[in-house]
Amino acid sequence: MQHRPVKLACRGVWKIYGPDPARLLAGGARPDLATIRASHHVGAVRDATLDVGEGEIFVIMGLSGSGKSTLVRCLSRLVEPTAGEILFDGRDLLKASRAEMIAIRRHKMGMVFQHFALLPHLTVLENVAFPLEVQGVARPTREARAREVIALVGLEGREGHYPRQLSGGQQQRVGIARSLAVEPELWFLDEPFSALDPLIRREMQDEFLRVQRLLKKTIVFITHDFDEAIRLADRIAIMKDGALIQIATPEELVLSPADDYVADFTRHVARAKVVTLGRIMTPGPAAEVAGALPAHARVEAVADRIEGSPLPHAVIDEAGRVIGHVGARAVIDVLIGRRIG
Amino acid sequence: MRAGEGIAGAVPRAGLRGSGAWQRGAWLWGGIVAASLALAAWVGPVPVPKALTPDMAGWVSAALRWLVERADLGLFSFKELTRAIAAVIEWPYSLVRAALVDGWVEGRGSRARTILQPLSWIAVIAIVAAMGAYARSWRLGAFVGACFLYLAVFGRWESAMVTLASILIAVPIGVAGGLGLSIAAWLWPRFERALAPILDLMQTVPIFAYLVPILFLFGFGPVAALIATVIYAMPPMVRVTTLALKSVPPELGEFATMAGCTTAQRIRKVLLPAALPDLMVGVNQVIMLSLNMVIIASMIGAGGLGFDVLNALRRLDIGAGIEAGLAITALAIALDRLSQAYAARTADVPMSAGASGGWPRRHPWLSTVALVILGTALMGLVLPPVASYPAEAVITTKAFWGDLVKAINIRYFDDLEAIKTAFLTFVMLPVKRFLLALPWPWVLAVAAFAGWRLGGAPLAATGAALGAFVLATGLWEQAMTTVYLCGVAVVIAAFIGIPLGILAAANDTAGRVIGGIIDTLQTLPSFVYLIPVVMLFRVGDFAALIAVVLFALAPAVRYTAHGLRSVPPEMIEAGIVCGCTPRQVLTRIRLPLALPEILLGLNQTIMLALSMLVITALVGTRDLGQEVYIALTRADTGAGVIAGLGVAAIAIIADRLIAAGAAHARARLGLQRGTP
Amino acid sequence: MTTKALLSSAAALALALGLAGPAAAQVESDDPIRLTLHDWTGQLVTTNLMARVLEEAGYTVELVQADYIAQFAGLKTGDLHVAMEMWETTGRQAMDEATATGQVVNFGPTGMEAVEEWWYPSYMKEKCLGLPDWKALNDCAEAFATAETAPKGRYLGAPVTWGGFDEERVEALGLNYEVIHAGTDAALFAELESAYQRQAPILMWVYAPHWSQTKYEGEWIEFPPYEAACYEDPAWGINPNKTHDCAKPRGPIWKVGWAGVANKWPGAAKAIGAFTISNAEMDRMIARIDLDGEQLDAVIADWMAQNEAVWQGWIAK
Ligand SMILES: Nc1ncnc2c1ncn2[C@@H]1O[C@H](COP(=O)(O)OP(=O)(O)O)[C@@H](O)[C@H]1O
Ligand SMILES: [Mg+2]
Repeated sequence: MQHRPVKLACRGVWKIYGPDPARLLAGGARPDLATIRASHHVGAVRDATLDVGEGEIFVIMGLSGSGKSTLVRCLSRLVEPTAGEILFDGRDLLKASRAEMIAIRRHKMGMVFQHFALLPHLTVLENVAFPLEVQGVARPTREARAREVIALVGLEGREGHYPRQLSGGQQQRVGIARSLAVEPELWFLDEPFSALDPLIRREMQDEFLRVQRLLKKTIVFITHDFDEAIRLADRIAIMKDGALIQIATPEELVLSPADDYVADFTRHVARAKVVTLGRIMTPGPAAEVAGALPAHARVEAVADRIEGSPLPHAVIDEAGRVIGHVGARAVIDVLIGRRIG
Repeated sequence: MRAGEGIAGAVPRAGLRGSGAWQRGAWLWGGIVAASLALAAWVGPVPVPKALTPDMAGWVSAALRWLVERADLGLFSFKELTRAIAAVIEWPYSLVRAALVDGWVEGRGSRARTILQPLSWIAVIAIVAAMGAYARSWRLGAFVGACFLYLAVFGRWESAMVTLASILIAVPIGVAGGLGLSIAAWLWPRFERALAPILDLMQTVPIFAYLVPILFLFGFGPVAALIATVIYAMPPMVRVTTLALKSVPPELGEFATMAGCTTAQRIRKVLLPAALPDLMVGVNQVIMLSLNMVIIASMIGAGGLGFDVLNALRRLDIGAGIEAGLAITALAIALDRLSQAYAARTADVPMSAGASGGWPRRHPWLSTVALVILGTALMGLVLPPVASYPAEAVITTKAFWGDLVKAINIRYFDDLEAIKTAFLTFVMLPVKRFLLALPWPWVLAVAAFAGWRLGGAPLAATGAALGAFVLATGLWEQAMTTVYLCGVAVVIAAFIGIPLGILAAANDTAGRVIGGIIDTLQTLPSFVYLIPVVMLFRVGDFAALIAVVLFALAPAVRYTAHGLRSVPPEMIEAGIVCGCTPRQVLTRIRLPLALPEILLGLNQTIMLALSMLVITALVGTRDLGQEVYIALTRADTGAGVIAGLGVAAIAIIADRLIAAGAAHARARLGLQRGTP
Repeated sequence: MTTKALLSSAAALALALGLAGPAAAQVESDDPIRLTLHDWTGQLVTTNLMARVLEEAGYTVELVQADYIAQFAGLKTGDLHVAMEMWETTGRQAMDEATATGQVVNFGPTGMEAVEEWWYPSYMKEKCLGLPDWKALNDCAEAFATAETAPKGRYLGAPVTWGGFDEERVEALGLNYEVIHAGTDAALFAELESAYQRQAPILMWVYAPHWSQTKYEGEWIEFPPYEAACYEDPAWGINPNKTHDCAKPRGPIWKVGWAGVANKWPGAAKAIGAFTISNAEMDRMIARIDLDGEQLDAVIADWMAQNEAVWQGWIAK
């Protein structure tokens, strides 16, 4: 994904809670976990550096308490980092004034919250139109826009309902619609589906992917559910104790975890879900092929087709050039977990 | 202070500590009590050196005189400012009063000519009934309407409307002021820290203590009474709102930021609406407290039902006093139920109905009410009974009440006298003598020690400092008398109230009956029962005790019942599965888990007992309440304020110790509840 | 009555013709004169009577509820204008303090005399022969005792704030009694009511004019008559070593008011100064209101009808 231009980046971001966070970092010090704990501080985010490309779904994954929420709040400057830089379109957000931040948030950022954060006294329509209302957009304009996004998330007909009258999944659809009402460039989602039942969660993930295919936002998505991460992510950052341990595509994470901690997560993941054809193909063209498949297709998605055909398939890159071929054997290796790579 | 700390300190240990710790605690406090007894017996009271009692009353008087007569804010004086405020408040007040009582008149005095009649009693009843029906149900509407009908039928209509008019002005001011202060507290934590002690004082300093300066500053009449009412009724609004703003889910605040709200938008559009159901609880509190002030407000010119009560009692017309008192209760209960219904209504937002059609169709309630108002106004022109409730139809039960008290008096006085004498000689007087005999350095030390045990060094410092202030007022004896009276009253209230609370929680019917009694006791002005109590028990500490217990009982009952009811059902199921008898479920599971709540109830009981102090002065006790009252009748502002601050100091010590005790209990039980 | 009727019809006529402004007699200022109301009937009578008379003279009057002592705050600033009953026996201190500022003036006596004294119901005469003489008191201390005070007799005093020197009196006259203070006069008379219902012993502080004088039959204790020297000079009286060995002083009930009244409404100030009424008249009116349940307005109207010459004299130019 390195070819995408960088939309949002953070450099050496720290967020330390406690009596005197600044002192710990004085003079560019980089205290380790033990030092921070010994001085009765909490290192919620430690020295985080990452780049999010334009149009990318960047997932931050970690156990509860690992600092995901704090990091995403540093990125949106809901939380003031103790140290570091947040670069949005190359400009340091931490240097923006209050008024500038308000303007940036009004027009360029949207956020979805774990517990929906809907306003209980407003209807669905009013909730979705709210971000436009605070900007002073006239009622007809903002309501028309709100209806558009409500339709986008499939809630037509519920405009007059109050949040209480909706199911959890519907409420979060409202949350999503609301965060999209201002057509943000940057879309933050903090565990948006964690409060939902597993079935609804899957449905919402599909919905989310559908919407993203239409809108192509730059997304920072938080989850503690590794399955969710690999389903949605272009890239995943694994967090532990406030630090980013590994940033990689799902496939790389599964195939070459940086350490045992990451390996623990990936052990039970069916490889077929993450491994792409590009990874298992034999380079070079085959003599005779049954068809062509893209290199970034995941094995799970195309296994049936490849297995069902006596001939191998050609693998093509994004430009449509044939870069290799793959046969049933390679797919079966993945499916039964035989060592690859 | 001793009575308070005994309660706060000993009770949690009894139920909750491991037996080793419990024993240590028991030994410790047992030892302190024994030492106190010994000191009281052999050392006796220690005179307070002159050097420790500076002339604080003089300073306060001088400062207030300066404020009233000299203080200058540049363009205008402080007094001109307060007078301007009074004028601003006067305006809506006269408007409401005109609508409810006076009508619109031209000219003054006996030459006045009515241009427009006030709202007919039928219209007012229709309005409140419609509000009840709109807010919840027809049943509520009927109930509220019946409460107001009582006012008309018992001939209290005009007074009640005068009282209602001041409530209708005081409550919005109290609510708006409370909102403003708590928003400021939310914005600036430093302001919040400064506000906290002021709120404590507003709630604990008896109103009589600052009545005279208020009269000077705001002029004589209903507006001064309104201001006094607002001062007394506003603190709970501030507390509730501050808490509500803080407990808005943080995600909502973050959402407001992400939506790009300005600070004003965030407060107005996100935080306040989200906190609305909680705010309504505060509004309800303001209404109830304003009604508690009705009597005192009438002493300085508010008139209304409070004046009726005072006037009836002056003539020893017990029946009229009770009727007027019950009218206050009816008004209070009606407004309470109404505001609660509105609170509940804002909590669960209605299904959007969006009926179509013309204005009357879309607003069926408003249009009906408008119709009734118009209709009664027109009919009132030709039919006087529609304009004002006909005097011939007034019912009265006066004779019944008078005869009832007389019958009890003649038949049972001697028995009551015997009970009273026994209680006085065996309980009250020994406690009083004991407390008055304690050397003050020891009392201060115990206050500090209790603070240290329950809340560490800061609380110890608070206890010692406030104790020292009480000492410095030069009213040590009166303060100890206060502690004695309130202490005994609180113990009795606990002995009666906690079992009642248990009963109320165990049985729904009992709960409803007890709830009704408690509501009545809390809203019925104590003046009403003070006279019968004096008739049956003579003036003195015992009569005062009864009045205090009756008034302060409510929180002990309420909090106990609430605490027991809110024990998680799994806990009770776990007990039953373990083979507990119902009795064991109560004593082993429900009571210990309800303990923090019960402690809070006791805390409130103490606060109410202290707030009754001034009333006890009316039956001739010699405590701080009496000092406040004496200062008022002599218009000695300084002395009143200082004695009032003495009451406040005792109240705050008790409050902090018990709150710390309750926090301990809660922490030990792992229960969550916003600890102040 | 005729004048009143005439005046009001004149007023009605004026209004009907659209003539705004003062309709009746020409007065110095049309601003309302504020009279304070307290919470005992006698004071309501005096105040309403004065108000009615001032209105007859053409003044605009407003009645304001106010506390007996706290009202001085308003009288000093001119928020309030007239207080019709300030008792020598209970209001002296506050009154002196207020008049010393020069902002409050004494409008002179109301003509009523305040009596405050030890009092007992008549049925006690059978249990304590020798009453009303104070010398009989010690012999029947037993009869007036309660469980709490026995063997001493119990004397129910007024609220401490009223003063009265009863402790001193008990000591100076060697009375075998304990003084118990009621907190308010409501409590005071509640005890009387209770005892009277049971025909039980009671000895207490009573004051007049007051409805109790009509409702309960009883008598004042006769102490050695008061003289100023009794309160100041120990040598005076039976006890050569103590003061207060005598009865309580009786004193006038005063009218007081804002010093500015005389400038703003000179005629009204004159009328207020001229107002007088006797104890007996007042007792009758109080009883009609408090005991017979008549309306205050009706009682006052009756008095005015019967005493027209009297009140016309107050407002005569
Ligand atoms: N305001 C705060 N003050 C102190 N500690 C905090 C605060 N917010 C978060 N933390 C701590 O920082 C750590 C990371 O929290 P968070 O970012 O919420 O984790 P996650 O979202 O991954 O569950 C946790 O240990 C948490 O207790
Ligand atoms: Mg989180």
